[in-house]
Amino acid sequence: MNTFRQPGAVTMVVTILITCLVLFLFQKIIWLVVPGLLALMNYYCLRPLVDRLVLRGVRRVWAVAGIVGVILVLTVGIVFLLAPQLLTRIARLQDTVDHYLGGGQNLLRRTIQTLEEVAPVLKRASLDRKMDLQIQQFTDQFADRHLGKLALQLLIWLPSLFLVPYLTYFLLMDSTRLKKFLIRSIPNAFFEKSLLLFARLDESLRSFFQGLLLLTFLDTICLAAGLFVLGVSPALLLGLAAAVLSWIPYLGSALGCIIVVLVAATDFPDRPTIAYICLALFLCVRLLDDFVFLPLTIGRKLHIHPLLSVLMFFLGATVAGGTGLVLALPVLGVMAVAGEIVAQVVMDRRLRSRYRAARDLASAWTTSRDGRSPQLTRNSLD
Amino acid sequence: MLTLSRFSKAVHLFRTPANRERVQTLRNLDVFHDLTFKEALEVDELLHERVYEKGEIIFEEGDIGHGIFVVVSGRVRVDPSHELLKSAVLEIGPGEMLGELSLFEEAPRFATVVAAERTVMVALLRAEFSSLLTKNTKIGVKVLVRLSSTMCGRVRRLLRGERHTPSL
Repeated sequence: MNTFRQPGAVTMVVTILITCLVLFLFQKIIWLVVPGLLALMNYYCLRPLVDRLVLRGVRRVWAVAGIVGVILVLTVGIVFLLAPQLLTRIARLQDTVDHYLGGGQNLLRRTIQTLEEVAPVLKRASLDRKMDLQIQQFTDQFADRHLGKLALQLLIWLPSLFLVPYLTYFLLMDSTRLKKFLIRSIPNAFFEKSLLLFARLDESLRSFFQGLLLLTFLDTICLAAGLFVLGVSPALLLGLAAAVLSWIPYLGSALGCIIVVLVAATDFPDRPTIAYICLALFLCVRLLDDFVFLPLTIGRKLHIHPLLSVLMFFLGATVAGGTGLVLALPVLGVMAVAGEIVAQVVMDRRLRSRYRAARDLASAWTTSRDGRSPQLTRNSLD
Repeated sequence: MLTLSRFSKAVHLFRTPANRERVQTLRNLDVFHDLTFKEALEVDELLHERVYEKGEIIFEEGDIGHGIFVVVSGRVRVDPSHELLKSAVLEIGPGEMLGELSLFEEAPRFATVVAAERTVMVALLRAEFSSLLTKNTKIGVKVLVRLSSTMCGRVRRLLRGERHTPSL
């Protein structure tokens, strides 16, 4: 992707508009989009394994079926094992939220007290009283406002997870055929260039998804190791949750950090230092992420300007709410490449004139053919 | 003795007559001649079939080449502007390949190639060829050796001053 020239202003505006439209549509079919994205991620991560098995003499169908079978078993296991536990937890959600927010409240109170001791002017603002009031309001209304919605969302989401292995299977089995099918519809004049850009898009997506998984793994290991040393449990689960949440740009990282700090503050109510160290640990991992892991894994695959990223977050959130916020950057990344493909291929005058000439030749052949069906000769190899 | 793998291979062959015929056609092409049926089947996954009408441009001189074309049926005409290529064979028929230089480097094409009649070609892109070389070395080496041998033959004929098919 990095060999592309910078897109023009018109291309960029059109790309942003199409991204907004796609985000809006995705919001309507989010139950299908998320399994689709997970399947795409599985596809890019499992493809090397399938290729390796095929290379060792295993037939593709068996290699794919075996690998997807394992995913299916895992998915079924996760859904059936997790669903009852999650539903039970949702029933006790009010208590859980109260419990952890209580821990957080305690930590905040202590922090404010310490700050007030250092800077007495803060006492007049009576921050701790205001904070107590706001947290109380939030926890009181939490169950009424969100519990029903959460349970409903869970019921909608869990069955759609079964689509993941199904979609992964067909992507692994038929992606080449699908690509060939798409390429076949491209006129000869644009064929070579389109094929090259398809290959680049494929390569970019592959490195993005593989990098994302590797990044999640590294984040999980670092956070879990740090939390384990600090004695915060469950370290691995918290590390994994924070790493997965950081897939949501900016907001996800903040949310992950809040969760980890809340757990630490609740588990160690008398030792606020642990929560502060957790916060520092989180910041260290984020820095490590941005300066070491990210360049090593994902790199700058999407090539999106920071200003455009922020603008896209706002647009995404306005057009498609939470879905837009989460999917804004990946969709913009793909649309930018697709826009570049279309701009490069269609805006090339030489290719366009070649296409027009070929179309005229094809129509001349059709009109002058001597009773033969063109389909029979066109696909002579099929 | 009929082993399970042989049996399943036989069943597979009978199940896909269209594929079998198609892959057999591929194996008749010079560049894929050394491949076994199974290997040709793998290569077939990477190839793109294109049909060009008489007079249609396949690629133009100066275009950045991204892959190789092999003529399956029909004939193509080479229109070179370089003096060296004027003495070359300017009509290329079934089994011959063209554009092989761009399989190894991203460089401009040396001549314009036009379909002299209705022509069916298969194209192999550089990126896909590279993935074939890394994923299945055995197939990659066979194709590479054939390609090199064809190119060597063309260069030898050029140096001897004989009529040769140009490498584009």
